[in-house]
Amino acid sequence: MSSALWVSKTGLAAQDTALATVANNLANVNTVGFKSDRAVFEDLFYSIEVQPGAQADQVNTVPSGLQLGSGVRVVGTQKVFTEGSMQPTGQPMDLAIVGRGFFQVEAPNGDLYYTENGQFQLNAEGMVVNAQGLPLAPGLEVPQGSSRFTVGSDGIVTVVLPGDTLPSEIGQITLVNFVNPAGLEALGGNLYKETAASGEPIEGTPGEDGLGNLKQGVLEGSNVQVVEAMVNMIGIQRAYEANAKVLDAASGMLQFLNQTV
Amino acid sequence: MDRLGFTAMTAASRTMTSLQLRANNLANATTPGFRADMEQAEAVAVEGFGYDSRHLVRLRDNGVNMQAGVLMATGRDLDLAVQGQGLIALEGEAGRELYTRHGSMQVDAELRLTINGRPVLGEGGPIVLPEYDSLHIGNDGTVSVIPRGDYLSAEVDRIKRVDIPAANVMKHSSGLLMTRDGQPAEASEEVRLLSGHLEASNVSAVGELVASMSLSRLFEAQVKMMKAAEDLSEAGNRMIRG
Repeated sequence: MSSALWVSKTGLAAQDTALATVANNLANVNTVGFKSDRAVFEDLFYSIEVQPGAQADQVNTVPSGLQLGSGVRVVGTQKVFTEGSMQPTGQPMDLAIVGRGFFQVEAPNGDLYYTENGQFQLNAEGMVVNAQGLPLAPGLEVPQGSSRFTVGSDGIVTVVLPGDTLPSEIGQITLVNFVNPAGLEALGGNLYKETAASGEPIEGTPGEDGLGNLKQGVLEGSNVQVVEAMVNMIGIQRAYEANAKVLDAASGMLQFLNQTV
Repeated sequence: MDRLGFTAMTAASRTMTSLQLRANNLANATTPGFRADMEQAEAVAVEGFGYDSRHLVRLRDNGVNMQAGVLMATGRDLDLAVQGQGLIALEGEAGRELYTRHGSMQVDAELRLTINGRPVLGEGGPIVLPEYDSLHIGNDGTVSVIPRGDYLSAEVDRIKRVDIPAANVMKHSSGLLMTRDGQPAEASEEVRLLSGHLEASNVSAVGELVASMSLSRLFEAQVKMMKAAEDLSEAGNRMIRG
């Protein structure tokens, strides 16, 4: 059967995946801490077909043969780690990282996951947890009845204990950094997991070693650019149509051959 | 049975192969840095006495269209686009050099700059970065970083850029470009890079669609010729039957 059919099919499949990525980005345009995805395309391998009986004349070199590509594929989706817009909320437990870094949260099975979503709350035991109930690691416990929860830009947490008038330090929030954050695996729920491509997590205090500062009462919104997503969508639609047209042409040729001969 | 059927067959099969090439170009119309393939056919005379009217069709080795595509602004520090002509050098297997215009770079776990898994070549081999806070790529390929914990920028290496004439470029089986003789090309100082941008593919969708339509019609004409050859031989058979 005609190879043009399969090549066009790869084009259609790749544009489908790209559209799914754009749709996911647009769906999460208001999600706190969401990082937009970008689909990366690559052309598939080329088969080098040598023409049998290729003749070389005395002057010109032997032609190297015909190279036919096999289509396109989506190599992967990259997360784009640019800063989202900062939204002040005034909630004392809303934290934003200004610069690089991730919060660490601990999963029930003991694994460490990483997130940029700084919406934290207190659970029934007074532990600082994220919206899904996963505790911040290393654990931070706020004593019962404390007030004035304050987080400094270097992560030092101070509260006013019941019965005291002066604030006292109860712990420090540390951030982690990665050599290649784009290599982290996205788990959903604004959580990421380390992989071989992302490198080891490097823990540090906010503001040092390239980590960003913490800001209390502010949330980092998503970094999705709506205009860019819309323009990409138009490009994807037209590319899809063009590939479908070639598929049609190849199919029409074979149909004509079958009917006529 | 008239041999004109075979002449038409070579044309029809050339059309199918050309359509695969066009389909590949269109499938990669949104792949950044993709260079369109060009196809050309030539007439090949059949050698021998009495075959003077037989000229078959053969596809010649195709070239690569090195026209520059449109630049798209992405704002990512590690995205590079080549302004005008020129290519970025990557390390292939067995010391071979491969070239590309798709400048979407990643930093892998060993802190090497890579494009699609292949290390980007600097002045003395692959570029390895120190631990850094931020990175900037200059217009002449100079990679400078602000090392971790420092605030002054330090130059790390320079990306190897080459300028190969379009006639000398062919595609490697991975889809990257290489020189026709397989030898690494000389570094060129004239090639300018632009960071924060990616170059779109240089496929003209209109051109490819028109070409594929024209190939469809050509194919139909060839099939009609094959039918004509069949009719001729059928007429001959009828005459013999009496």
